[in-house]
Amino acid sequence: MENTIVKAENYNSYFGDNHVVKDVNISINKNEVIAVMGPSGCGKTTFLRGINRMHELIPGATSKGKILLDGENVYDMNAIYVRYKIGMVFQRPNPFPNLSIYENVVAGYMLNGLKVSKADKDVIVERSLTSAALWKEVKDSLHKKGTFLSGGQQQRLCIARAIAMQPELILFDEPTSALDPISTSSVEALFHELKANYTLIIVTHNMQQAARVSDRTAFFYMGELVEFDDTKQMFTNPHDQRTQNYITGRFS
Amino acid sequence: MTPLENELTALKAELASMWILVQSQLNKAKEAMVQYDKDLAREVLIKEKRVNSFELKIDRDCENIFALHCPVAIDLRFLLAALKINTNLERIGDIAAGIALYVVESSVNFDVAALEKTSLIRMYDEAINILMDTRTAFEKEDTVLARSIFKRDDVLDAINDNSPNIIAEIIKADINSLPEALYILSIIRKLERVGDQAKNIAEEIIFYIEAKILKHHESGNMQTPKEGE
Amino acid sequence: MDQRIGIRNTKSVLFKGLIIFFAFVITIPLIIVLLYIIKQGITQVNWHFLTHVPAPPGEKGGGIANALMGSLIMVVMASIVAVPIGMLAGIYLSENPRTKLAYYSGLCVDILQGVPSIVVGIVMYFWLVKPFGGFSAIAGSVALAIMMLPIIIRSTEQTLKLLPDSLKEAALSLGVPYHRVILKVLVPCGFAGILSGITLSIARIIGETAPLLFTALGNNYFSTNITGQMESLPHVIFTYATSPYDDWHDLAWGASFILLLFVLTLNIVTKLLTRKWKIQL
Repeated sequence: MENTIVKAENYNSYFGDNHVVKDVNISINKNEVIAVMGPSGCGKTTFLRGINRMHELIPGATSKGKILLDGENVYDMNAIYVRYKIGMVFQRPNPFPNLSIYENVVAGYMLNGLKVSKADKDVIVERSLTSAALWKEVKDSLHKKGTFLSGGQQQRLCIARAIAMQPELILFDEPTSALDPISTSSVEALFHELKANYTLIIVTHNMQQAARVSDRTAFFYMGELVEFDDTKQMFTNPHDQRTQNYITGRFS
Repeated sequence: MTPLENELTALKAELASMWILVQSQLNKAKEAMVQYDKDLAREVLIKEKRVNSFELKIDRDCENIFALHCPVAIDLRFLLAALKINTNLERIGDIAAGIALYVVESSVNFDVAALEKTSLIRMYDEAINILMDTRTAFEKEDTVLARSIFKRDDVLDAINDNSPNIIAEIIKADINSLPEALYILSIIRKLERVGDQAKNIAEEIIFYIEAKILKHHESGNMQTPKEGE
Repeated sequence: MDQRIGIRNTKSVLFKGLIIFFAFVITIPLIIVLLYIIKQGITQVNWHFLTHVPAPPGEKGGGIANALMGSLIMVVMASIVAVPIGMLAGIYLSENPRTKLAYYSGLCVDILQGVPSIVVGIVMYFWLVKPFGGFSAIAGSVALAIMMLPIIIRSTEQTLKLLPDSLKEAALSLGVPYHRVILKVLVPCGFAGILSGITLSIARIIGETAPLLFTALGNNYFSTNITGQMESLPHVIFTYATSPYDDWHDLAWGASFILLLFVLTLNIVTKLLTRKWKIQL
């Protein structure tokens, strides 16, 4: 389909002999917000990290199968290039502590040694921080270190850093689990705005969050993709009994 | 505005549209009855399908909001009230269709004098006003207006209580007017139910705004709040 | 029970008193040494002392200029060798902690740290002095570098291990290649810790005499020729303190004072640098 941005075909992940992600087939369209939910240890984070090839950085971690980004298998591409093209935001906000806010936003360019003029950098910083709903709060202290911001602000800084690279796809690994409720709301509001220009895949263990923010939701259980459907359908009348048990809290 | 607020605003607009539709059904049925206009009555019967599909859509939208957003406090009460108001409006729609059906099925037009004696027209007008005011109370979140509905429903109840005697007299005066008189009695009964439905709607509005439950209490009484206020 | 509580409280107070007492006690040796050396050496130190070579025996005056220059040259040369090698080895050990290579080389580093400095000196004699026919500052620097390595390696490794994984992940997820992640993210963030390891290793070797006895030996004249013998501060202290001349004894005290000053300054500077540049993680 013209509109597909990411497609997994018979994708499997292993930690040594441990078969953690089992035969996943999923197709994600442009400008969708996809939530990936499931109980602890179900393989959702492992699957997410397989998309931008962060999984293989762990010693002993391997995978089989294909993940197609715009039609090309990421496992046939240069791993570093794949990570460059796909943005990622982690559970704990991790701005670079030795860089200022300004430098953090353009870190993707600077650390890669890409030459960007000061004027262009200024534009990138303002644009990314605005998209991350952080510009107004920090525009007068861009030279300060990123670690002096609150948790929610740091996470939005990390989002700005990812956006600055103009990825088509941004992966979020439980982005609000380390944040308080108000910061969580501000980040969730951001998802709705980012949807216009990016495709988002969000792993979350909070199913209410999955319900609130996503267009379609994938439910993982014990390494398998059990159900992948419209969020409305998933939460009003899921097709699989395991999905129903999970969202009604019949098992943890 | 958060996505939840957007959904709730959209739901309010949908309910308002349904309200307007039901109001117009009731008005048309009255016109059809007074003018003995069978074509107008048939229009009402056709539009009844729209009322039903509105009800289904609003039910589904409420279900989605519950599932996706898990609303609490005033939002939760609003949704619970919306579900019930939805049902009440649909029943009023049914009543309007029922009245229109009588007009279509009746072979004679209704005698104006009989309509006067029974105060049917007055009752009908009051019922329409009450319905209009429930909508205003809903949109403006006006609980004073909502509370006024209870006393006005008493007027409808009074007319209803008197009607059997008056109808009996009409029939005694002229036995040929029996079918027509029975229709009139039925319409009076239906209008009394419109008043009841409107009263229920008013109770739901007060519940959602003030968290006070007025169901199953004497009309006009301000009763105990639901949770300590 | 009341009785037992009384006894317990007493024991507690005694224990507290004991540990405070010993905390004071340990400062005594340092204070005694410091005071004595300062008292003996400070009178020797003046501009002449710092800029002149030692006078022949019997003559008054003279200084330690050659020793200062020699120490400086050898420390710089040792650092040039030890710092890059040490940092890179430390980086390897912190990045690949579970490999066999890491285990064995880590073991070697620890053993090396325990090798007596005089043994290092002797080995260097056989490798770098005998084959080349003479004592040299180069040999001295190599010996010193070998002694610096374990400290730099371990402190680099520890500093980097303390950095959270999330930092590396953040850089990797931006598509930054591995070598840049290390050089442009991890090392700058661990800069304070790595730098303190380096300054501590310098503070360590600046006072090492034994290895220099077999490699650079000493030189009465001011020299910058690294292929020849070179004087150094600890060696000059050794030579003058063991000589029979009183004038040279005085020089030894002065040199001791200067050496002590360097070591103290390096330690204090390290502490300050670490505090000032410590990246709040």
